[in-house]
Amino acid sequence: MNDALIEEVAGAYRPERVSGDRTLPAWHDLDPDGRQKAFELALGLRTLEAALDPEGLSTTARAVLARIGA
Amino acid sequence: MNDLDQHLPAIVAGDAMAFGQWLAGAERPIRESLRSFARVVDTEAVLQETLLRAWQVAPRVVLDGRPNALLRLSVRMGRNYAISEARRLRSTGFDEDAIEAMPEGQVAPAPPADPRLRDHIEDCRDKLPQKPQQALAARLESGGAEADPVLAERLGMKPNTFLQNFTRARKLLAQCLESKGIDLGLEWV
Repeated sequence: MNDALIEEVAGAYRPERVSGDRTLPAWHDLDPDGRQKAFELALGLRTLEAALDPEGLSTTARAVLARIGA
Repeated sequence: MNDLDQHLPAIVAGDAMAFGQWLAGAERPIRESLRSFARVVDTEAVLQETLLRAWQVAPRVVLDGRPNALLRLSVRMGRNYAISEARRLRSTGFDEDAIEAMPEGQVAPAPPADPRLRDHIEDCRDKLPQKPQQALAARLESGGAEADPVLAERLGMKPNTFLQNFTRARKLLAQCLESKGIDLGLEWV
């Protein structure tokens, strides 16, 4: 199990590609158990981020708002 | 129950701030609805695409007298998008029939964050060693817009060192919060 890969996949950054596929390359390198752990970790991290944000927004929400030009 | 459709008229009018208020309550239940797909698709990518589509389809949402129409629609959109992604990726272990047979379940918005939780997290964050604190701050400030290697380079760290520092920050935060009786699910072991 690669802890660094799980940590990277649990982050909110996702690449923009012309194809529209935004899957993080590191996600492909994780086995199913690692992917599940990254999912559970992301839940906790987003709660932490939203609690610290003045508007209650996680980095996922910030990334989406940036995409709509907010 | 908090009805996030209270933000719908402003969202339809193109108010991104109102959409942000909707996101604050909608993100978690939509993410949780994708748990059964976590082993076969990149749920973060699916979630972000679903939230973007929620913004795009909001003007066409038909209210049915029940609360959270846009949230309920988004959960369905997320699930359908996850299924199409699993097909595209030809993910092993993906049982489409089992997934489609699963009930959608009750969907409720996340409650607003407790301001005391923020105080506790800030207290724990202030106790972090410098480099882990820098890694955590870099992720928060980038708002998901930059890849970890970019953040690492800005801090003068190698990508793996950056991730190790972030892991250290997360684990120390989890321990500190645990001592205050708070479990955010920040540790996976």
